[in-house]
Amino acid sequence: MKLYKKDGNIVQILSFPNESVEKGDYLLIEEINAARALIVQIIEVQFANIPGIFEELLRSYPDGGELLRGEDFDPLEIAPHITYIQDARLLICKIRATVENANLSPNSSWLPMRSQSTITKLSISTLFKLARMEGNLPVILGGTKESSLLTIDASSLDGRLNIVTGKKETGKSHLSKLLMLNLIKYGATVVVFDLNGEYTGLGLTSDGKRNAYYDKIHVLTPARNFKVALIQLHLHILLSVLVHALHLPGASAREFRNVWQFLKEKGNLSLRELGEAIRSWRCNQHVRDALFSRYYALVNSGFFTDNVAEAMLLEECLFKAREKGGAVVINLRNTSSVDRRMVVEYILGKLVELLTNWKLKAVFLFAEEAHLYLRETYWDDIVTRMRHFGIFTTFVTNQPDTIRENIYRQADNIFLFNFTNEHDLETVSRASRVDAETVKSIARDLPPHYCLVLGKAVKDFPMVVKVKSLDVKTMGETRLFFKDMN
Amino acid sequence: MQTIQLEKQYALRLQPISLKSRPEETVVAAVDTSSMKIGETDTGVLIAVRGANVWKQRSYRYLRLGPFIFHVTEENRKEVYNTLQNAYFNLKHEPKHQSSPSLLQMQTRIASLLEKWLQKMLSETLSNGLILFDGSLTSGTADAPTQRITEILSAAREGGNVVLAFAKMTRLSLNGHRITDLPSKHKPPYLLQMAGIKPKPPLSFLGDVYVARLAKGSYSFRLDIDKETPSERRIKAVEKLLGNDVVSQGYPETLRLAHIFCTFTANEVIAMQHFIARRYGLRIVNRPDMHRLLFGPFGKGES
Repeated sequence: MKLYKKDGNIVQILSFPNESVEKGDYLLIEEINAARALIVQIIEVQFANIPGIFEELLRSYPDGGELLRGEDFDPLEIAPHITYIQDARLLICKIRATVENANLSPNSSWLPMRSQSTITKLSISTLFKLARMEGNLPVILGGTKESSLLTIDASSLDGRLNIVTGKKETGKSHLSKLLMLNLIKYGATVVVFDLNGEYTGLGLTSDGKRNAYYDKIHVLTPARNFKVALIQLHLHILLSVLVHALHLPGASAREFRNVWQFLKEKGNLSLRELGEAIRSWRCNQHVRDALFSRYYALVNSGFFTDNVAEAMLLEECLFKAREKGGAVVINLRNTSSVDRRMVVEYILGKLVELLTNWKLKAVFLFAEEAHLYLRETYWDDIVTRMRHFGIFTTFVTNQPDTIRENIYRQADNIFLFNFTNEHDLETVSRASRVDAETVKSIARDLPPHYCLVLGKAVKDFPMVVKVKSLDVKTMGETRLFFKDMN
Repeated sequence: MQTIQLEKQYALRLQPISLKSRPEETVVAAVDTSSMKIGETDTGVLIAVRGANVWKQRSYRYLRLGPFIFHVTEENRKEVYNTLQNAYFNLKHEPKHQSSPSLLQMQTRIASLLEKWLQKMLSETLSNGLILFDGSLTSGTADAPTQRITEILSAAREGGNVVLAFAKMTRLSLNGHRITDLPSKHKPPYLLQMAGIKPKPPLSFLGDVYVARLAKGSYSFRLDIDKETPSERRIKAVEKLLGNDVVSQGYPETLRLAHIFCTFTANEVIAMQHFIARRYGLRIVNRPDMHRLLFGPFGKGES
């Protein structure tokens, strides 16, 4: 390999056919005398612009597009040299770091000498050593191209905002499960908004037997095994549900507050009493109607109950998870969109309450397709306020444009699966932890189950990994019409 | 380029010879060679030559020979040239007074040796076919000794072949116009014969010279046809060419392909330089362009 050009933080390298390098590989450009080296990553592989190639190709097809038959007497065997030159490639590389005295710096201003530089492939394991990617909480994501394991440290997800994105059926949920189980293994508390019931089988092996996580996975299905009694609720949480999920106007919310205080003072906080109180409350008819419509929404959701024994306390599950690690999976599979919003409002309110009171240390929140249940104002909350409370969110989506731009800008880690759509790639490339060229070039060519890891987890050295398989029961499969016919 | 001005009494026979395509199956074969200076070393020049035979018998086939690379120095140029000449041709009957070419001439002279050898081989092996040469049938130059061309033509005739030599450029002119640029209202394909041309010695024309316009709306070319071939056979040969080969833009496809197959592309030049450096460790030097060096942007380079 030969150094050809440098323009900004892009380096172009001439590579010959016998050198096996691919997009995503790391190269080390060393200049012995300078005692410095550049670490670059290949983001694009092109044909080298060799003069005369066009004529060469035209010459091969001069007979109306058919290959002309004939013999070549080539005593000096020049032909292999011609193909060698013809197949030369130009590697477009991005400078990732400069190595000086075994220390890495993100500096890309140094220009190695063309004539004195040697270029070698940098193995992932060596890069890990150079980048000092080590830690006490290893999470094996899978294998790299070189058959080495890509291990990140669980602490790199701690206090971070993560995004897992890629088009359908590329392995996003699979990676989320892998991250979750590893967090649980290290004693973390995880909450999952499970839109399709995909995470409900995490406690079971693929053949349906209990696995090591069985006791740590708590699946809560709203209106079934997850109900809330009004008496257990704090007013501000219920108001959040009414205002944000059910869009209760401000004036009506004020009236509701009065009704609630009244019932609480009487010790009569129940759905039945709430309905009665609204009916008999002296207020504007419009306000009453507004309160009634929300009241019936609460009742019809089946999520609220008067039977305290029936009410499954979220806290109980969270406290269990707090002790030895565990996940509370909120199964939203058969929940309507309005009910989904109510449940999410309740849970987020509850989490903030528990975290504020230090009843919980921190929670790793996994939110699948969050745009379907997260209200507008929560996006900003999640990246700013909630982070300080200790809610560390991982967004999982196949529609990257549903996540706001500021979330991308502040994301610490991005786990990117294949995207072919330009618009999707454009959206993801807004993330501040990576350059747009890398995202667009590498993500487009990722096969299913291969993930481009970007951000702090890989010390800002983008890595491609084949996500390892998990022995957990697959749930939430797509229902197929022709399944039994084939 | 020196222009040969024809005397008016020897002018073109203005009555054009109309041609009809004859589809009688005939093999059409063509020869061409190419040469290139691929670099300079401290002691000499690196020359590459390649030749191509293309023939058409229903479909086109080719045989490409080379590239052959020579490192020619002042010390070895005589030896290189004589060795090649001896290897290619039987020199018993050829005059020996010719000196070996200078270093600058070596490129064209080596290419010419290969071309003449290929022409000879084709003339000796093909029978009842049409043999197309690139250039004219002018002899008497260092590149084309009369004896050698005569032998080639004779061998071709013995095999029942007709040699047709197409020249893309000609120095022959009439009334200040190149013969190929002379206007004619006749409908192509046709030939215009030039009679009684006598070149200055030692040059001699071993073929009769025609202006050939073989396709409508296309270019005219100088066409030399072996003098010893009877006139009727000559016309028939050109008509067979029209019936057996594609003649787009007035130029035979077989000859065009021979040219294409032997020409070096820039990629090949790089490959040969790569080969030389790898195999023989020869260092190609970049000599400064004195024109550029002295005259800067006003220097147009030596070529």
